Amino acid sequence: MLWRKMFRDIMSNKGSYLACLVLVLIGLAVFTAFSIASNNLSFSKESFYRDQNFAHGFIELESMPRSDVEGLSGMDGIARVTGRTVKEVRVHDPRRAEGVYLRLVSLDLEEARRVNDVLLLQGEALTSGELQAWVDNQFFAANRLRLNQGLDVIAGGRLHELTLVGVGMSPEFTYALRDFKEIYPDPERFGIAFLPQEDMERLFPETRGRVNDLVFTLEPWADFERVKNRLEPELEGYGLRTIYPREDQVSHLVLTEEITQIQNMSRALPMLFLLVAGVILYIMLKRLVEQQRGQIGILKAFGYTDTEITMHYLSYALVVGTVGGLAGGILGLWLAHSLTSLLLEFFNVPEVFEGISLYYLLLGLLLSLAVFLFSGYHGSKQALKLKPAEAMRPPAPPVMRKTLLERVGFFWGMLTIQGMMAVRNLSRNRGRTFFIFLGITISSAVVAMTWSMNEMIDKLVFYQFERVETYDAKMLLNAPLDRNKVESELQHIPGITRSEPLLEVPVSLSHRWRKEDVLLLGIHRESRLYNILDKNGSRVEPPENGVILSQRLAEKLDVSPGSTLELDSPLLRFENDVYPVQVVQTIPQYLGMNAYMEISEVEEILAQGDLATSFMLAFSQAGDGVGTNGIKGSGGLTDLRDRFRESDMVAGIDSGEERVKQARELMETFGSMIYIYVFIGVIICFAIIYSSSFIVLSERSRELASMMVLGMTPREVFSVISFEQWFVSIFALAAGMPLAQLMQWGLAREMSTDLYSLPAEVSGESLFMGLLITSLSIWLAQRFVFSRIEKLSLIEVLKTRE
Amino acid sequence: MANSLIVAKNVKKIYHMGEVTVHALRGVNFSLDEKELVVVLGPSGSGKSTLLNIIGGMDTPTEGELYYGSLALHSANGRELTQYRRNDVGFIFQFYNLMPNLTAYENINLSVQIAKDPLKIEDLLEQVGLSDRRDHFPSQLSGGEQQRVAIARGLAKNPTMLLCDEPTGSLDLASGVQVLKILQAFCQNYEKTVVLITHNTVISQMADRVIYMKDGMIDRVERNDQPIPAEKVRW
Repeated sequence: MLWRKMFRDIMSNKGSYLACLVLVLIGLAVFTAFSIASNNLSFSKESFYRDQNFAHGFIELESMPRSDVEGLSGMDGIARVTGRTVKEVRVHDPRRAEGVYLRLVSLDLEEARRVNDVLLLQGEALTSGELQAWVDNQFFAANRLRLNQGLDVIAGGRLHELTLVGVGMSPEFTYALRDFKEIYPDPERFGIAFLPQEDMERLFPETRGRVNDLVFTLEPWADFERVKNRLEPELEGYGLRTIYPREDQVSHLVLTEEITQIQNMSRALPMLFLLVAGVILYIMLKRLVEQQRGQIGILKAFGYTDTEITMHYLSYALVVGTVGGLAGGILGLWLAHSLTSLLLEFFNVPEVFEGISLYYLLLGLLLSLAVFLFSGYHGSKQALKLKPAEAMRPPAPPVMRKTLLERVGFFWGMLTIQGMMAVRNLSRNRGRTFFIFLGITISSAVVAMTWSMNEMIDKLVFYQFERVETYDAKMLLNAPLDRNKVESELQHIPGITRSEPLLEVPVSLSHRWRKEDVLLLGIHRESRLYNILDKNGSRVEPPENGVILSQRLAEKLDVSPGSTLELDSPLLRFENDVYPVQVVQTIPQYLGMNAYMEISEVEEILAQGDLATSFMLAFSQAGDGVGTNGIKGSGGLTDLRDRFRESDMVAGIDSGEERVKQARELMETFGSMIYIYVFIGVIICFAIIYSSSFIVLSERSRELASMMVLGMTPREVFSVISFEQWFVSIFALAAGMPLAQLMQWGLAREMSTDLYSLPAEVSGESLFMGLLITSLSIWLAQRFVFSRIEKLSLIEVLKTRE
Repeated sequence: MANSLIVAKNVKKIYHMGEVTVHALRGVNFSLDEKELVVVLGPSGSGKSTLLNIIGGMDTPTEGELYYGSLALHSANGRELTQYRRNDVGFIFQFYNLMPNLTAYENINLSVQIAKDPLKIEDLLEQVGLSDRRDHFPSQLSGGEQQRVAIARGLAKNPTMLLCDEPTGSLDLASGVQVLKILQAFCQNYEKTVVLITHNTVISQMADRVIYMKDGMIDRVERNDQPIPAEKVRW
């Protein structure tokens, strides 16, 4: 019978219970879906790594005889080494103006159980000597390629046709970035191709019998740093560029990071939802018990035990928790599969679906029940304290005292009577006031921070490509060249108004025990095409003495302007040479992590003459004509590409505008995530205001009705409730803004990687949007309340004794 | 003959409570005059509260016509009824219905704020004998004091008509008489109409007119040419 009473009670106040239910539902759906997806992702990743023998260490070097590779596998700690030739080539497609590049990775077909082996998804095995290749599945799909199709590439200055015989996947390229300046893979313009060693040698005759890239796995007990220290002297003679562990490998780094983030999200978000739902339920049950005092007294008088009565009120929590929890869990299970597929596709990891796991469904259900039973128990425990006779008497009228605020005369004088009522109500229900305050603070902070995240991404990309790197095109050289020679050649090309050399040198910077491998950029002092900007956005000249570091790099090395670093590079002429350099300044850098110097200073350190590894170019107005692809400046670009198509020295020409355009396209996909978060903020805010309004309505219907009898319009009566809510909300919104800043700061710290640093400031626009969106959802929730007030039955409310 | 303030013609009120149909008023005809004190007497369920609610614009008749001057209350919309309650009617309930978080003064002020031509709060507090309790909250006042605040609140906006639903129902004799005195004084000093519902027959001795109700109908109406002063009422 009590169950029937409960269901009827719930039905009579379905709005508030529904709000609770929706919160639990969303919370648990997120929990289950994200837990399962992150589990699947990490399981898929592990099995992929294992099956394909993913390397623990990566070595890039100038050139090394293939016969010497075998010798390394005997080294203590190394389980297996695979030597390969890795070269980047441009795809020749006259119909496409933008640069399409393939990274060619050679495979030794004889070798069993290669390190970083390729998983063949479709097609057939490679045959040596026929210029056959496998391409990675994302490039294959993005470019709508077909098996057995020919693909023209320019290698070693000549046009070759590769035949695609298979589509594969490699753990090394789960997140294939062409270079560290990109944040998203762009499979349409960059891909990986695998081809037999013999064919690689045919494309690049100078690599015959040699490799320029090593990957190795470690024995389970081995320590990477020790192995690295042993490897370094061995490889010095082969032009060693860098040795880095799996942890620094881009694909692995991003994938691992993402899994961690999804895991964190699968915990934090649902807790937030459950918490809000729990508090709402607590308040509702507390109110219900107060209202049903008389009923409780009668039940007790009948002889119902305290346990039975508590169980009755707990059953409200139980029903909401179970229904919401189950529905949310099932929705989550259903979403988990699509979410997993989406993530796996994004990261290019073969799907190993563990199947439906009831574990998280049950865990989620337990979690929601735990939260609800806790809040339900605390909400209803006062029912127990009452003795039957006492319970049947009406409660003593609420004792009112003047609030602190009333001592602030000018403030109090400004309030209408409705305002005074609101302020006193707020101070009477401090717990509830605090809950509304906290809820709105969090909601507005979440919305503002999310909005600012959107801007961050914007900043990340456009800052780099529109303010820092302002060139129209960048010509990448295959090897460092005499810059004066190239420059004089470029000067004769019509349409190029300015060309500046860039010398990019891999270096190791160390400070005490800290050490970072980064790219040192040698830039001309008067460079106009690459602007080093300080935190105020003013241009800084690259120093002739000393080095400028990106802030993140400086933090990682624990240095500040004035500190001295030791610079080491595989390109230094003398072995074991260490060059001391002073840090002159640190600058914000959102994409990548670099060190900067005047180009002649870098050349001096290298002591190999005037060098450049790439050239930044600006085109004249004539060359700025709109090209066939609609990109401004691509007229000059097309000419340039045609001119250097066959060149041995030019690895490729990148267009600045193309990069911005790509970034813009990619950003649109990111946008949807932002809206999900904003939606979450709105839901929480709405649920809080909505449910607290209904509690206020049921609690004070008598007061509100009395006011209407006095002749106040529904709007005037409503103003008491809305004033109350806005009064708290204004403070909450004010508190939400610093919180947004704090969250942003934490997020920037948490999410920044060597690939990108996130700005830590929330912009004014984001704060404004946070305020606006939260206020709108408060307003919306209040609309519902207003319509309830309009329908308030005066007679029923007033005739009864409280 | 004084002017009629309220004229009711064959007013019926039917409530549908689930499957049960309640005929609260079965067709009543009456009028209320200006400046008179009318007591409506009748047992529980006789329809007197329904009548009062309809007169006060808290409810509308199911059938029949009801006029306040030229305003047709039977066909008035929500907005018109609100304006009517706001400007012309004062209400007093058995259970006071004060705002628990407003002081005596503030409770009265609540009504003053929305009035066109309100009375002075200090004068009203003086008249109901609560000048020294103006800053007390309802929880700090006795039942009689709370009812006096409620009356002051009802009077404050200077309505044409004061409707009282069992105003002494929860009070002891002394407090009750004090309340009745205030109501009678208001009627006489301010020349307003006061309608008082009760099942306490003794109170009818102070009325100008008594309407007896029974089973949703007006049983009879009696004119009392010699109303006694409220302080002489005893029960």
